[in-house]
Amino acid sequence: MATNETPASERLNLQVLQLLSGVSAHGDQHLAEVERDLVQMDVLLDEAIKKLCASFMAIHHAVDQQQEALDGLLADGMPSAASTARFEALRDEIKQHVAAAVTGLQFQDMTSQLISRMAQHLAGLRDVFSALDTNGSVLPESNNEVLLEALGQISDRVGACRTERAGGVRSTVNQRHMDSGDIELF
Amino acid sequence: MKTILAVDDSGSLRQMLSFSLKAAGYGVIEAVDGQDGLDKAKLQTVDLVLTDQNMPGMDGLTLIKALRGLKNYKNVPILMLTTESGDDIKALGRAAGANGWLVKPFDPARLTEVVKKLIG
Repeated sequence: MATNETPASERLNLQVLQLLSGVSAHGDQHLAEVERDLVQMDVLLDEAIKKLCASFMAIHHAVDQQQEALDGLLADGMPSAASTARFEALRDEIKQHVAAAVTGLQFQDMTSQLISRMAQHLAGLRDVFSALDTNGSVLPESNNEVLLEALGQISDRVGACRTERAGGVRSTVNQRHMDSGDIELF
Repeated sequence: MKTILAVDDSGSLRQMLSFSLKAAGYGVIEAVDGQDGLDKAKLQTVDLVLTDQNMPGMDGLTLIKALRGLKNYKNVPILMLTTESGDDIKALGRAAGANGWLVKPFDPARLTEVVKKLIG
């Protein structure tokens, strides 16, 4: 451990090394937690959308059958004009809700792409944190030249991470809401 | 019955596409990515192709180029249905042979209106 009697250059080396290894280890730890949460979120969203779609299809099927039964009752009996109009209005209302549900149920396509992009960014950050680790290559009692060389190598490794990832995480989802998108015929 | 090939790697998206198009009276063949779409398009010539862009393996643009290289698909309408809306990628889609560009999420009524316009 460095004391006040330790030369300033050695204390500086030690501080730099501790800072780098701390950033590397803690950063990596936090990233691992975020990655775990992202994977869990993806799994939950996947299960949720499957259940939502299954329920949607089942509800739609049941409503269709109910509609057929109602149509039969209306054909057999003598419904008032008001009742017929009310049933027609309800039928239109259901159609609108079904259309809105179909649009809303497409969310997972977008969220999964965003999660995948986040995972790629996290992998990039993990590489950067890994590049910061000196792996004990510089001893605290080394002189400033050795430290400077090591910092230069770290800087090169960080630069290489940036080059490797450049263009690899293109944004494919720009939607800010779940209203239906534009249509353009060529 | 007119048949539509729906290509998308998202299961829920394919389910909603299939539901909407079948409700409008079309037959639907589903494919999970570009290669699957190309294989199914070769097995049966469909009346219209709806494809996503970003899929694992073969993407939508590559699929369109491959389809346009097939004799049976020179004049079959192909629509892109994707989260992407940039002018650059739209231009690439157009150059590859797409007939239109639909940005997700889709509204079933607007989708079937476009499909009806193209294949009746």
